[in-house]
Amino acid sequence: MRDDVPSTTEARLPLAGVRVLDLTVVWAGPYATMHLADWGAEVIRVESVRHFASSTRGQLPYPPAPFVQATAAGGMGYPYDEAGARPWNRNAIFNAHGRNKRSMTVDLTRPEGRDVLHRLVATSDALIENNLPPNIEKQGITWEALSAVNPQLVLVRMPAFGIEGPYRGYRTWGNHMEALAGHPLIRAYPDLSPEYAPTGVPADAAGGVAGALAVVLGLRQRAKTGHGVFIEAATAENFVPFLGEFVMDYSLNGRTWEQMGNDHWWWAPHNVYRCDGADRWVTLCVRNEDEWRALLDAMRRPDLATDRRFSDMACRHEHRRELDALIGEWTAARDAYWVMYRLQERGVPAGVVMSEVDALESRHHAARGFFREIDHPESGRYRHVGRLFQASETPHPPPRHAPLLGQDNEYVYKQLLGFTDEQYHEFEASGHIGMDYPRE
Amino acid sequence: MPLDDVRVIDLTQGAMGPFCTRVLADYGADVIKIEPPGWGDPARMLPPFLSDEPGLERSGLFLFLNTSKRSVTLDVTTPRGRELLLQLARGAQVMVESFKPGRLAELGLDYATLHAANPRLVLTSITNFGQHGPYAQFEAESLTAYAMGGSMLQAGDIDHEPLKTAGRITEYQAGLSAALATSLALLGAELRGSGEHLDVSLFETATHSIDSRLGRLLGYEHGGHIAKRQGLASMVGSGVYPASDGFFFFTAGVQYIVQMIRMIEHEELLAQPEWSTAEARAHPDRIAEFPQYLLPWSVTHTMAEIREACQEYGVLGGPLNTIPTLLADASFVERRFFQQIEHPVVGTQTYPGFHFVLHREEPMPGRRHAPLLGADTEAVLCGELHLGAAELATLRVEGVV
Repeated sequence: MRDDVPSTTEARLPLAGVRVLDLTVVWAGPYATMHLADWGAEVIRVESVRHFASSTRGQLPYPPAPFVQATAAGGMGYPYDEAGARPWNRNAIFNAHGRNKRSMTVDLTRPEGRDVLHRLVATSDALIENNLPPNIEKQGITWEALSAVNPQLVLVRMPAFGIEGPYRGYRTWGNHMEALAGHPLIRAYPDLSPEYAPTGVPADAAGGVAGALAVVLGLRQRAKTGHGVFIEAATAENFVPFLGEFVMDYSLNGRTWEQMGNDHWWWAPHNVYRCDGADRWVTLCVRNEDEWRALLDAMRRPDLATDRRFSDMACRHEHRRELDALIGEWTAARDAYWVMYRLQERGVPAGVVMSEVDALESRHHAARGFFREIDHPESGRYRHVGRLFQASETPHPPPRHAPLLGQDNEYVYKQLLGFTDEQYHEFEASGHIGMDYPRE
Repeated sequence: MPLDDVRVIDLTQGAMGPFCTRVLADYGADVIKIEPPGWGDPARMLPPFLSDEPGLERSGLFLFLNTSKRSVTLDVTTPRGRELLLQLARGAQVMVESFKPGRLAELGLDYATLHAANPRLVLTSITNFGQHGPYAQFEAESLTAYAMGGSMLQAGDIDHEPLKTAGRITEYQAGLSAALATSLALLGAELRGSGEHLDVSLFETATHSIDSRLGRLLGYEHGGHIAKRQGLASMVGSGVYPASDGFFFFTAGVQYIVQMIRMIEHEELLAQPEWSTAEARAHPDRIAEFPQYLLPWSVTHTMAEIREACQEYGVLGGPLNTIPTLLADASFVERRFFQQIEHPVVGTQTYPGFHFVLHREEPMPGRRHAPLLGADTEAVLCGELHLGAAELATLRVEGVV
């Protein structure tokens, strides 16, 4: 544990005094360490100025302007669509999950870099990584090597499919793991080719929370036993339970589900309906007879109550496309919020398909103080999502901005590891320490 | 196991809350599931059922969500039931509940009362929109929550309607988040010597999700951009393509397009000005040009051949599997991910494995099947709360247990 625990409110966070070395890349891993940093851990990102980890601080170190324009809305963009002098400090997705963390640089492909890491491991509580196993193991990141340096270490590795197994060298992102786990084929459009299937990444979100949970449980296990802990959280395996009832239905009945779109197994209506305005939609769902009557009341369509096509849930499910058409006629000229409020007032689950503006301007989020502003020296002052949950007795100190690449090198090399100024300059000269990626 | 000294009183029903306590049970917690006498957790009567025949012990959903828990029937709306619940809370570290906000107070079990009974107790509340706020009493399920919180507006094709995620993924994400919240609060409670009340909101965990939402929200802040659903490809060499025996999802993008060009045996492209430099390959026009090279290659290869080629060349990609092809997949089979669990009514079935594993000398402990309704009532109430056999019999007659 750290001996320099701050005496401020941060000391009352549950992970105060815990130092975590963060070797994570892309999304799932950095999302895991975001939670650890949010709840008080000192998270030190271990990065390299020699090797740009793609899709972590942007897709390219120096993205050309047309590329910046084309990717601006995908969450990988930059303020005012300008990559700036040091794009890696301005990338949206990195800055979205980087808050409260520190950043140091070291080149782990060289022996003296691995020596620096070992010295850091000796003074840390946990290390977490989610790299391709063969690559990261070449840099000395294995349980055998690290536990020899610090037998008290909590090591969490988040490979895609497994540290061992036939896919240990298989490079994927969360959306490919999801494809392999069966998700896109289940959610694909009922009436279009699976080529149109969405390939979103709930596997990364799930993997991030699981990785953070693994570190927290590892710390608790260590506190009880006095020994280090090694946890393997394969992102693809972690995601499969999110499709648990589909696995069970196959096991129980040999049944598979494909191309369900927005359909529910048995509820109807259960879909998204076009509303007034460009790309405006509302979802609604009826789960029982009370909600069915409430929907008809909201629509002022008492006549449908006696329509034999819709007389019970099974009939409605069978005739769900006809029902969808009737509801779609009702919503088409109406505002999505009008529909949501009119139905929620009557106890029917309805929700606006919220754009970024809807979310940021949500009066519910505002009332709960969900978004928080963070001022970033190279990016600007913006609103960020709050912590994952609210806790009555845990303080909520103002978040610190995502770290500039290498901003904490002096702190780490000199203060934590005790290197002299002269040694520090040697690390600088040999390309371990820096704040810029080389231009190719 | 990390939580083998933790007792959890589980008042949750349905899917979101039980997913949380299922994870806590996997890592050692003693989860006592409190069910209403008679029918128990309503999830017991939700499909899929064995042979599609409904029955309290036949629901695959319930069986999946409640492994390694104990079941106690108790009507907490009665004075004696409430009293027994408070007694159980005194001996527990955690209580998890997923009632609508305000319901716990109506039952005389608000946080202040529970805190007075057990100052170290962590109370985890999991709800659709949180304990307070203008939407606190709104109804929601996975479709609503993903629409309002997640990236639904960006999911699907630009010329068609937005699509939800499958099944209950959004609710389960809230459940897993609640397990993290509970575990963090346990550390906090141990440091402070006193518990706290956690407010986990489905809407917030969905909005929070790094499923592109975090970055896109900041993307809007950065330049006023609202992300749209894409056409077939959003990045060069990316999207779902037909294979000879199914479909395959690729992501090349600017980082891996060179590897992909080699993989599909079009090395000659790299000598052409459109493809020879990183800057040229990053031009948005390349996105629409590339399928003419990729498609003829993908349709003449099987999903397995493509997966192997992706591995060999370092291209990102995955086959569009179904559950049976997932169950037969080499990695999941070799790593023995799926588990066979025997149950007295439905027999031996296949369940998804652990979210993560602790590597120790001894293997991870095996899971127990989901409890039969009230299976542990007597053991807990008589064995641990020292209720007499006569009183238990009376309470059964009165319908309290």
